[in-house]
Amino acid sequence: MMIELCDSSAIGEGEILRVDVDDFPAIAVARHEGALYVFPDRCPHADESLAEGWLEDGRVVCGVHFAEFELGTGAVHNPPVGCPNLSFFKCEDRDGKVFATLAGGPVNV
Amino acid sequence: MCEGGCKGAAKGRPDMKPVYPRAASYPQYAGLVDRKNAQVDRQVFVSDAVYQAELQQIFARAWLFLAHESQIPNPGDFIRTSMGEDDVIVVRQRDKSVKAFLNSCPHRGNRVCMVDAGTKARGFICNYHGWSFGIDGALRGTDGKVYEKDQSFEKAQIGLTPVAQIDSYKGLIFATFDPDAPSLAEYLGPFTWYMDIMLDNDPEGTEFVGGAIKSEIDCNWKFPAENFVGDILHAFWTHQSGAQAILGGGVDLGSRYDELAFQASVYGHGIETNLDKVGNTRTLGYPELVDYVFDLSEKAKDRLGELRARAIGAVSSCTVFPNFSFLPGQNTFRVWHPRGPGKIELVVWTLVNKSAPEHIKEQYRKGVMMTFSPGGVFEMDDGENWEYSTRVNQGFVTRQQPLHYALGLESADLERDLPGHVHKGSLNDANQRLFYTRWAEFMEYDNWTDLQSGETAPPQKKAVEAAE
Ligand code: FES
Ligand code: FES
Ligand SMILES: [Fe+2]
Repeated sequence: MMIELCDSSAIGEGEILRVDVDDFPAIAVARHEGALYVFPDRCPHADESLAEGWLEDGRVVCGVHFAEFELGTGAVHNPPVGCPNLSFFKCEDRDGKVFATLAGGPVNV
Repeated sequence: MCEGGCKGAAKGRPDMKPVYPRAASYPQYAGLVDRKNAQVDRQVFVSDAVYQAELQQIFARAWLFLAHESQIPNPGDFIRTSMGEDDVIVVRQRDKSVKAFLNSCPHRGNRVCMVDAGTKARGFICNYHGWSFGIDGALRGTDGKVYEKDQSFEKAQIGLTPVAQIDSYKGLIFATFDPDAPSLAEYLGPFTWYMDIMLDNDPEGTEFVGGAIKSEIDCNWKFPAENFVGDILHAFWTHQSGAQAILGGGVDLGSRYDELAFQASVYGHGIETNLDKVGNTRTLGYPELVDYVFDLSEKAKDRLGELRARAIGAVSSCTVFPNFSFLPGQNTFRVWHPRGPGKIELVVWTLVNKSAPEHIKEQYRKGVMMTFSPGGVFEMDDGENWEYSTRVNQGFVTRQQPLHYALGLESADLERDLPGHVHKGSLNDANQRLFYTRWAEFMEYDNWTDLQSGETAPPQKKAVEAAE
């Protein structure tokens, strides 16, 4: 079941926004070349916030140790030792609202 | 760490605010400079206790040169340098301002930046436990798996220690660790009128070209600083053979020496110049450069006035107290970083006008390398002298012996309407006496009111217009 996260207008091009949803760990929503991406606001490396990082060349960059994750595939680049890939939640823009399937955890889209 | 018992819930949380050390007063060290008899006690070149006092009184308070704006043009560009013995990172911010921090992690103190310079840094990650700092110095994160679970951890108040004040003057960035220090403009005072000879002779301003050349010299930092503040005397002996080799003739102060040459000093900063137009530039060995400077000084008359236009390439030298020096005409800019009483790390750069043609910039760069790099003709001449001037004082008896700083005691020029304490002739110890007087003021005074109103403060006289 998809649940509503936020207004899609709240996320500008090239931005990452942290969204708090009841019963789930913090979520991050990003927009790149118009498309929306939803993923846990927790870096797979050491749990720091990805919403405090930034987008660069189609990747989410963690601001703490600079792991880079490809938007879409989640493949990690420049990984600190032992850093796995990032996973994403299925999401869509319904009438100006961002919806995502959070239950069951993230899957690669 | 366990005051009030270790069992209670509310333990003392660490106070991670920056600490800027306080100055003290060391009249016993100030007394090592005998102003009445124009003598300097050799203890100032060898004593460890004096050296530690210098770090506290001078290097933790004075405005110190960090970098030229042109070295870090874009956000994230950085260089590593030192202020005294303190390792410092200088970084361009996203809003184009510049910040500088101690290069030491607040966790266990490890150095967070290992390289000398870089571009577009995303931040600085400490090698030890991975604490990560933004280019603004703030702690961005640590290891969330550990620290996020620790309720008492207060990330927000942790960061790299920023310098207390940072500012720039016509492209040159300076900083101080003293929150109470006066503004950079006040610290430099009217000495900027002389600095403009190099920094403002062209409307487009200046830049550093080439890299930084580093070397070590086993000398006390004050020997090179006093040499550049006003010792052209040594050139006639030390540099005579080097000058012969490059110029085919000796050092020459120009035919109008008696009329033109002078020394000027403001708060211990000093310039000696002979106003001979191109004497320093000639030693770089490129006739085209000499033509360029002749041309430049003709054009610069509007901006700088006749007198300063003659100084652009002249036989001359400057020190900005305490340890930043440059040579007009030869365009070498340098910092003598102290590394103990008997050692310095020397970093040198070449300054050019942005508007200069490429091949002129290239000739300055090469010319400086031939003369004032570790393998340069003149640098080698100087270094050896400073090393022996320092080292001989290891001799217990030797270091009791007086030194003579008394050339030109009667040479004060009260007529010439120039900023600062002006003395006739460049062959003079006047600026060096005032340099050590300034040194003594820093040793003696624990506050800036006294520091800015002592003997070295510029005498009150008619203000000199920037463009006469
Ligand atoms: S926490 Fe993101 S890279 Fe280390
Ligand atoms: S010393 Fe820097 S992270 Fe521990
Ligand atoms: Fe010299």
